[in-house]
Amino acid sequence: MSVGKPLAHDSGPLHVTGAARYVDDIPVPAGTLHVAFGLSHEARGTIAAMDLSEVRSTPGVVAVLTANDLDRPVDVSPSAHDEPLLSTGEVHYHGQPIFLVIATSHRIARAAARRARVEITPRPAVLTIDDALEAGTYFEGGPVVWTRGDIKSALEAAPRIVEGQIEIGGQEHFYLEGQVALALPQDDGGMAIAASTQHPTEIQHKVADALGLPMSAVRVETRRMGGGFGGKESQGNALAVAAAIAAARTGRPCKMRYDRDDDMVITGKRHDFRIRYRAGVDEDGKLIGVEFEQFVRAGWSLDLTPPVADRAMLHADNAYFIPNMRIVSLRLRTNTASATAFRGFGGPQGVLGIERVMDHIAHELGMDPLKLRLANLYAKSGKDETHYGQPVKGFELADIIGSLAESSDYHKRRAAVAAFNAENDVLKKGIALTPVKFGISFTLTHLNQAGALVHVYQDGSIHLNHGGTEMGQGLNQKVAQVAAEGFGVGLGRVRITATDTGKVPNTSATAASSGSDLNGMAVKAACDEIRGRMVRFLAETHGLKPKSILFKDGKVHLGNQRLRFVEAVQECYMGRVSLSATGFYKTPEITWDRVAGKGHPFYYFANGAAVTEVVIDRLTGEYRILRADILHDVGTSLNPAIDIGQIEGGYVQGAGWLTTEELVWDDKGRLRTHAPSTYKIPACSDRPAQFHVALWGRKNHVPTIYRSKAVGEPPLMLGISAFLALSDAVAACGEVYPALDAPATPERVMMAAKRVAG
Amino acid sequence: MYAFEFERPRTLDEAVAALADDDAQALAGGQTLIPTLRQRLAMPGKLVSLTAIDALRGLSASGGVLTIGAATTHAEVAQQTDYPALAKLAGGIGDPHVRNRGTIGGSIANNDPSACYPAGVLGSGATVVTNRREIAADDYFTGLFETALDEGEIITAVNFPIPDKAAYAKFDQPASRFALVGVFVSKGKDGVRVAVTGASEGGVFRWAEAEAALASDFSAGALEGLSVDPEGMIGDIHGGPDYRAHLIGVMTRRAVAAAG
Repeated sequence: MSVGKPLAHDSGPLHVTGAARYVDDIPVPAGTLHVAFGLSHEARGTIAAMDLSEVRSTPGVVAVLTANDLDRPVDVSPSAHDEPLLSTGEVHYHGQPIFLVIATSHRIARAAARRARVEITPRPAVLTIDDALEAGTYFEGGPVVWTRGDIKSALEAAPRIVEGQIEIGGQEHFYLEGQVALALPQDDGGMAIAASTQHPTEIQHKVADALGLPMSAVRVETRRMGGGFGGKESQGNALAVAAAIAAARTGRPCKMRYDRDDDMVITGKRHDFRIRYRAGVDEDGKLIGVEFEQFVRAGWSLDLTPPVADRAMLHADNAYFIPNMRIVSLRLRTNTASATAFRGFGGPQGVLGIERVMDHIAHELGMDPLKLRLANLYAKSGKDETHYGQPVKGFELADIIGSLAESSDYHKRRAAVAAFNAENDVLKKGIALTPVKFGISFTLTHLNQAGALVHVYQDGSIHLNHGGTEMGQGLNQKVAQVAAEGFGVGLGRVRITATDTGKVPNTSATAASSGSDLNGMAVKAACDEIRGRMVRFLAETHGLKPKSILFKDGKVHLGNQRLRFVEAVQECYMGRVSLSATGFYKTPEITWDRVAGKGHPFYYFANGAAVTEVVIDRLTGEYRILRADILHDVGTSLNPAIDIGQIEGGYVQGAGWLTTEELVWDDKGRLRTHAPSTYKIPACSDRPAQFHVALWGRKNHVPTIYRSKAVGEPPLMLGISAFLALSDAVAACGEVYPALDAPATPERVMMAAKRVAG
Repeated sequence: MYAFEFERPRTLDEAVAALADDDAQALAGGQTLIPTLRQRLAMPGKLVSLTAIDALRGLSASGGVLTIGAATTHAEVAQQTDYPALAKLAGGIGDPHVRNRGTIGGSIANNDPSACYPAGVLGSGATVVTNRREIAADDYFTGLFETALDEGEIITAVNFPIPDKAAYAKFDQPASRFALVGVFVSKGKDGVRVAVTGASEGGVFRWAEAEAALASDFSAGALEGLSVDPEGMIGDIHGGPDYRAHLIGVMTRRAVAAAG
């Protein structure tokens, strides 16, 4: 059995020795040129004059292109056609690409770009949520509203009303490998691209469109990324398209990569939100109705904002049955980098909204927050349907939470925290348990498809290809385990190969946590097809019933006879059996009407829960995460080692989002935190001192690949427990509810503690 | 980075001669200057490295004074045992890379408002020794990135009178490890000093009210009720003036408590 083994990442040795090849490490042909953008220095305005003569005259510069120099309008947006590669006269954010420089080196291209004299007539920039509300700059024509039940009557009848607001900051992806693409012009007019992207098919599509070529003339290859986190779903388009245009113009290979500061300034981040809430509860803490207003800062273009904001609405319930609900979502256009996909895709903001509500209600009622949460969990008998009409099946959170509360000693530690706080004036501890229920599937139904290509060579080696991309998450290893399992052979026979639009077409982004679910199934289908052909042939030639032929332990069992896998392959080859097949998978059962906000958008839900204990210094606001205990549901794990790694990383990244990672724009719309010296991501030493992660281990109730569950995004929301533990610690400083905003930087924690103490 | 000439003299006289050119710039550990050059924020015609001059290196203690050569690295200062509070300050600067390259002379010549050493020098009542004169700490730090140094004047050493009690309490800006607020307190034969870095728009300063309160009673309790006016404190992406003013009170009490 390969499936279920805790095998190390297939590229682990390459990662740690530095031998793993990323796009910028690929040896380039002689004469390769380099591309850099010239960027806007205003957040909003009209280009009045552009003097690029000094850029052009810089030694080493081969060409300089503006939008006017392009043969056709070139768009790099993922869908809405609202992102010209280069500004066409209007400037919409500080850092927007205005022109591009093609030069003999990366440095020359960048340095030359800075010699431009671009005059921009500034216009008042819409930067914040408040600016956008005042200016009325909405995407999608105004608010999107979903309702369930009768929220008005429910809130009128509710014995208690709890209301408030939380500001939720954005988040920089901070993939270790920055954005990069390499374009190699082909002799037939086609283009080959190597890109660091989660979405090779989209790169292929955008490059083909930019060059006026059919998609068949463009091939995109992605061996691996050094992290993606959603930041390489659409944000790589501009680089690949720019490099391809430069390559087509010059006939030479062209490469483009952003330096870190440029990367942080140009590319989109997680959407920052403001969530306003009004919740009605009875005296026992049962939710009667909740009203949410979600203000979404989308940035200057649409990008992926509609599905991100939808997902925030879809997760506004998290794990709780809320009989009456109204969610208003305002997608606000601002003159900032266009916010984009980021692990969780709006889900985390939605989940944080309702978890904040639960925390606030527990404080107002003087109830244990865990008891309150348990009282409101989805359950059978009429409490099992979400606000968008999907039944919640296979819901195991009550058991997971119960088990975690026990294994983490939650109740005893809560008492110990209270005792500690009674004795300490400056240091205060806090503890919180939060669950996550996360819907698995793309909400755009047609994206839930995947393909694979498997070859078995005559020496018994297996070549594996699928549409998913490897960004460090271990997808290739999991899928290779599926392939090895399919043929009953060891992993050593399976060769993992780069994602390639020439091998598997029309792929979806590796996103929505769906990589293993979709591609694992497609690979299995391809392996099943080849094995089926082999079985039929061997059954005939050996005079056996197909059912009696087994692929196991590197052998093919033919009744009493055993052939080594390679011998069986050779027999099939000699018998002229095709040993190559494609596989295809589409997720069943899903439907979604996004306008009505009703349907069955998710194939299933992934679940988990975390307990975090923190200590704060109420005088400085500094804090430490002392301990985190996690119990997470990955169904029957394809690879427990990789899954635990994803859970640990997801928690730390989620906690980072809500604690130290603060994005700051100034009043001119300039991002001031564009380097690790000013933007603090969690380091190894910031992880909890005690970190216990366990897998729930029960199989998925729907037939996913070996009954496993998706693991990419859901654990990020476990980090919410760290944020609410900080809130709990601040609450210990006085009587008032802390109403912490995120990220809970030391300054915010200190100020909240001061406010709470009165 | 723009092009520049580079010299690495062996003696102080050679260094003085090399720095006589108008566009020459002294280079110590380079932890601020090199990034500045890389961002093309400065364009010196010549860099004169001071790290090969033996006379500028090393530490010695005698008669209750610790003398630290200007080109001594933070890591070296962190290892000395004559003045533990200063060792702790040096050991908390930046990261190992910065501590192994950065020097005390470079730090105080630059006088970054968020650097640690200015607090240590001012808070100890140290004397800055140059190739021309001796400058008392109180006269040395004259403003943001400004010092009493003249053109071509080179710091050779810093003399620290070793106090009876001293401690440095620093609130790290978590991303860069610069001081969001750092307070150095000392109690020696010339009295109590409280020096604050990271907080003021005017750079490092002495908190006179705290010094007065501590002069008669060197305890954290003596500072009860004292606070710093947020007016004139730095407000930036890492924290507001109110927060910094508040932290000065907290870090001063903690430094006093740590000094014992």
